[in-house]
Amino acid sequence: MGYTKIMRDNVRLAALAGAVMFLATIAVLLARQLALVPSRPAPGFRTFGPPDAVVKIEEYSDYACGACRGAAGKLEEMLKIYPGGIRLTLKHYPLVNIHPWSLDAAAYADCAGEQGKFKAYTARLFESQEKWGRTARKPGEFEAFARELSLDWPAMQACAASPQTRQRLKLEMAEGDLKGVSATPTFFINGKRAVGPGQLLEQLRKLDKLLENRNKPAGECPEK
Amino acid sequence: MPGEIISGMETMDSKTNIWKAAGLLARLAVGGVFIYAGTIKLLAPAEEFAYAIETYKVTGPQLSLWAAYVMPWLELYAGLLLVAGIFTRFNAALCGALLLFFEALLAQAWLRGLPVTSCGCFGSGGSNSLPVEFLQNLVFLALAYLAYRFGRLFSADSKAD
Repeated sequence: MGYTKIMRDNVRLAALAGAVMFLATIAVLLARQLALVPSRPAPGFRTFGPPDAVVKIEEYSDYACGACRGAAGKLEEMLKIYPGGIRLTLKHYPLVNIHPWSLDAAAYADCAGEQGKFKAYTARLFESQEKWGRTARKPGEFEAFARELSLDWPAMQACAASPQTRQRLKLEMAEGDLKGVSATPTFFINGKRAVGPGQLLEQLRKLDKLLENRNKPAGECPEK
Repeated sequence: MPGEIISGMETMDSKTNIWKAAGLLARLAVGGVFIYAGTIKLLAPAEEFAYAIETYKVTGPQLSLWAAYVMPWLELYAGLLLVAGIFTRFNAALCGALLLFFEALLAQAWLRGLPVTSCGCFGSGGSNSLPVEFLQNLVFLALAYLAYRFGRLFSADSKAD
């Protein structure tokens, strides 16, 4: 009798433990999927716009991806139209399975950024992505762009090969994985996910009013 | 004479109640810390925590990564079950064993003078110095013992009795 009761109690407790663990697992996985994951700070040269902007965009991008090139152009335009309203943070998410040189491109872009030429260097990477994106041998473009921009190429090589740079890139990719990023470009616009330039523009359209109000000179009444 | 016996029993009862309350608080404290430590690691890339583990120079990169995948879940589950008081003694002992394991890791890094900048206790963010973390863990170890001995108040286990 006593033994049966102990068994029954243990089974009940085991079921309760299973339920608690199941719910905790679901909660963690949901938090990851809803991107409630704290973001690692990106270097200053990959962040554009004021910190108090009303629209904060985090973009996971790959320099060999065509859609990322399109999105970069659109975001550039948006930053010009709403200079005080948007803060853009670029994160690297090289799709190494299909773009063999993307990880190197991201490393060189960061190293160019450390020499103050991130935008100019990445613009060249995007423009010529068909040339270097899928070649079998290491592309010469990385060096050619550095020389065009008068960057210190030996320093860039050392920087791109350094464990710190590689570690930063790997952690950024792991952060993207954790947030469920699997395609590029993926954006988090005020925390809401958008994949591809189409969804980006659609979401920004919804935030148009907010951005327009932010762009108005001080003292002007917002539209009713 | 019977009055003395009764008051003696009351003193014993109130002492027992104090231990039970301390056990409950210890259970919540240790469980809460484990839930927090597990969750904060689960919401960050495992590679970050793996990197912190690597700095102890006990495991290689691959084993560190596996440990970084498994350990946060173990911490979260053990913490939750301890707070809820499900298999209280087992989970208090498990938390205690994990704390002892962490103490061993911290002690060897401290003695070897390894440059551990983040102990990895609560994710890969900055942490206290190794001696401070070691002492902090000792406090939690004592609390885990209290939870093991007296932690059945308001527990799911006590409902089953």
